Amino acid sequence: MTDAIPLLIPAIPFGFVLGLAMTKSEMPLWAAWLTSPLVFAGAAQLTMVTIAGTASLWAIISAILVINSRHVMYSAALAPMFRAQPKWFRWVGPFMLIDQVFALAMLRSDQEPDSFRRYYLTTMLLFAATWNVAVPLGMLIGPVIPEAWRLDFAPVIMFAGLALFAIKRMPAGIAALIGGFVSLFAAGLSDRLGILVGAVSGVIAGAIAEQRMTTLKTRSAAVQ
Amino acid sequence: MSNRAALLVLVVAMLGTYAFRAGLILLLADRSLPVTVERALQNVGPAVLAALTVNLAVGGDGGTSVDIDAIELASLGIAAVVGLRTKNLVFMLIAGMATLLILTEIF
Repeated sequence: MTDAIPLLIPAIPFGFVLGLAMTKSEMPLWAAWLTSPLVFAGAAQLTMVTIAGTASLWAIISAILVINSRHVMYSAALAPMFRAQPKWFRWVGPFMLIDQVFALAMLRSDQEPDSFRRYYLTTMLLFAATWNVAVPLGMLIGPVIPEAWRLDFAPVIMFAGLALFAIKRMPAGIAALIGGFVSLFAAGLSDRLGILVGAVSGVIAGAIAEQRMTTLKTRSAAVQ
Repeated sequence: MSNRAALLVLVVAMLGTYAFRAGLILLLADRSLPVTVERALQNVGPAVLAALTVNLAVGGDGGTSVDIDAIELASLGIAAVVGLRTKNLVFMLIAGMATLLILTEIF
């Protein structure tokens, strides 16, 4: 439980900002609120509520799916640990497989199935509880905060931070750089299509960089 | 956005996200993903989040031209510096918002 706290604390203001954004959103409040218990994915939720109203339905849906496709990677990495688990847990566990739960679960990958399961369940319930308190709190306070506080800009900073912290290796940095640049030039496209165009270009650029790096590595290894 | 549209987005987002999270845990027996696929997935997050940041900052909903002002750009820049130094999203948010409010007040 103590190792969850450093990851838990930043989730509180994030949930709060998301709650605020919901009150300014074009999305009906009931639906925006339900995304917390049902979708439970901060970046995707924030995207949903900020672009609702200015993007078409399919543009919103594809943006969400692209954002969350990174979870496929988590699912693949955790599959070996889940193999020894009871069936109910294999179905329930992934429902709350968010970035933080994944990071913590990976630290316990060598544990016995029983204690791994207890750890995973405690962590996921802790995050779910925190999230489902922080978001409604933001929704409650949102309407009384004056326009002049410019809370409309908070999600932009939030996304910039998430992008920044998601960069762990060089190719990811290139993916982010190209993704940002292309979406700047594609900003004129209707339907917020610029997001998808940018994201796809970024992923392709990242893959190319990855390939270049591997070739260089094998070449220098061959020289040695 | 109508109630019906919101419900559709909600349901698709829920099912899609669950499928991504559960898919390989339920299906992947003793195999693992090809390295290239795994690497590409690692780059999805940074690429899409950077694209989102830029798109939201410049108001990329079509028709309108780029409309980020110098103050917003400066705030984002300060936020990025603080983020890189502290690796802390909360400090980054506070620094960015404080810069935005102070500069708006001055100019």
